[in-house]
Amino acid sequence: MSAARDMLCDTTRTVLAGADDIAPVEEAGFALLLVAEDEGGFGGDWGDANAVLHIAGMLAPDLPVADVILSGLGDVSMPHRAAATVGLMAGAMGQALSLSIDHVNTRQQFGRRLGKFQAVQQSLAVMACEVAAVDAAAAAMAARLDATGFDAEAAGFEIAAAKLRANRAVGVVTAIAHQVHGAIGFTEEYDLCRVTIPLMRWRGEHGNDAHWARTLGRQVAALGGRGLWEGLTARAG
Amino acid sequence: MQSFALYPFDPPGDTVALRTDLRAWLAANQPTDDVVARANCWASFDPDFSRALGAAGYVGMTLPAIYGGGDRHPLERYVVIEELLAAGAPVGAHWIADRQTGPLILRYGSEEQRQRYLPGIAKGELYACIGLSEPGAGSDLAAVRTSARETSEGWRINGQKIWTTGAHLSHVILALVRTEEGSERNAGLSQLLIDLDTPGVTIRPIIDMAGNHDFNEVFFDDVLVPHGALVGERGQGWKQVTAELGLERSGPERYLSSHALLVALIDAAGADPDPAVAGLIGELTAEMWTLRQLSMSTAAKLAAGEDPMVEASVVKELGNAFEQDMPRRVQAIVNFDWDDEDDLARLLRALLIASPSFSLRGGTREVIRGIIARGLGLR
Repeated sequence: MSAARDMLCDTTRTVLAGADDIAPVEEAGFALLLVAEDEGGFGGDWGDANAVLHIAGMLAPDLPVADVILSGLGDVSMPHRAAATVGLMAGAMGQALSLSIDHVNTRQQFGRRLGKFQAVQQSLAVMACEVAAVDAAAAAMAARLDATGFDAEAAGFEIAAAKLRANRAVGVVTAIAHQVHGAIGFTEEYDLCRVTIPLMRWRGEHGNDAHWARTLGRQVAALGGRGLWEGLTARAG
Repeated sequence: MQSFALYPFDPPGDTVALRTDLRAWLAANQPTDDVVARANCWASFDPDFSRALGAAGYVGMTLPAIYGGGDRHPLERYVVIEELLAAGAPVGAHWIADRQTGPLILRYGSEEQRQRYLPGIAKGELYACIGLSEPGAGSDLAAVRTSARETSEGWRINGQKIWTTGAHLSHVILALVRTEEGSERNAGLSQLLIDLDTPGVTIRPIIDMAGNHDFNEVFFDDVLVPHGALVGERGQGWKQVTAELGLERSGPERYLSSHALLVALIDAAGADPDPAVAGLIGELTAEMWTLRQLSMSTAAKLAAGEDPMVEASVVKELGNAFEQDMPRRVQAIVNFDWDDEDDLARLLRALLIASPSFSLRGGTREVIRGIIARGLGLR
């Protein structure tokens, strides 16, 4: 982990808060985030990129922040774009959960706060599990990309698994977020659609469920049943 | 718990060598190749295997050497546990004693209790069961009514436990009992170590819907145990038990106990599966890989001395859902007749029948989601 990550996250929040186009992101030099220091870059690792993308997914999901960061890599492959999208998706899902919790803690119905209803609590717990899973997948994928020097082919297993896991979480997260919000969450003016529409879009970008499921499945089939476990433990941990 | 902060899983020592040595040991000592026996293996009771595993140093790994333990780091134990589960080793006999009872006795027990129980646990020879549930107190554990009254001779126990896994094969039960007359809910509860051969203890089998005998009813009829049977502090039983449940909910058994089915599916599919089967293998792998990250992170947090109650519940919730879904999803895609006798079919049948239990043991799904909701600030 880069020592400067906390500062980087503060900067990212400042730059993205209220930004309505990509210019401030470009001006702040995010294209240099993944460029090595001896090449004049920031020298960040994929964990840093993941942290920035997480914030971008929360605060500015419509801005092409991932494109700016990846531009520093030069030769960018589809798996790199998928990996960056996982970071955005984790952030957007965290924001959907956060908005949902705020809403049920303030909105009253039937004389009680919505959050006091067991059915609502159970739904949000399910959603929180999905968000936790995507966070964990994004972090583990980032660790692998760092261990391989951003080599998307060497990290192909983790990228496939993380993008597929994130894709599969989208349905649950968006459905529950909108369900607990009721009609207000379906309005243009309310913040929820700012993250749920991008989530629906990202699920199909840089590899949909079928693409990554088959890619990963073929890779695993080639390893054989026992080989899956041996392969998994040899890659990390 | 707005964001699941991933704790780095960083065991000391040479983990690669640890895995290699254990795999070689298992290749020489694994008692069965039968796929059904390998599935749900943490319920498979095999004292010979447990004793051999203990002699090889893979049981009681985290206990201090003065009690016969291995003085190893909890994350080294984690590595060993996931290897045993992935290989489908029959670890059921010593499982609860090694996972919960041993660490709990070390943390809260008296010196006498440590010397009496820990060496046998570390050898893989002394087995324990967990006395929590009662007919009126399952998911609502604070409704425990089994009473223990302190007399001049010791504790006198009356009441009943139920759903006690392995009581008929265990030596000792760690029971949650009400030690303060008239106390309510989670106050006035304590933990007692009761040897199961004590007069007045009766164990009756409950056969499950798969025809297996794991569960039991345990009756206490004026059972007298010494004063020294009290574990930890009188009245602190609730706190001790909830800490114990963190160990029970987040381990690799929550997603690896049915790993044999994924292995069998991959082997049956061959090196070049059709797209639908490849897709299912990919989906199951992505979920299993993610669960492993969550479980390892929670283990690392536990090892750092923190109490990851919510994270442990997330692992149990997602792990249970994964293991319950897996047989159904495999059945939906492979050609399978209920009465087929090939490996994949026998395994699928066994896991379809076993799967309803996965989200019951260690806290029902609704209770677990309630704990997560509390972590979200909703309760």
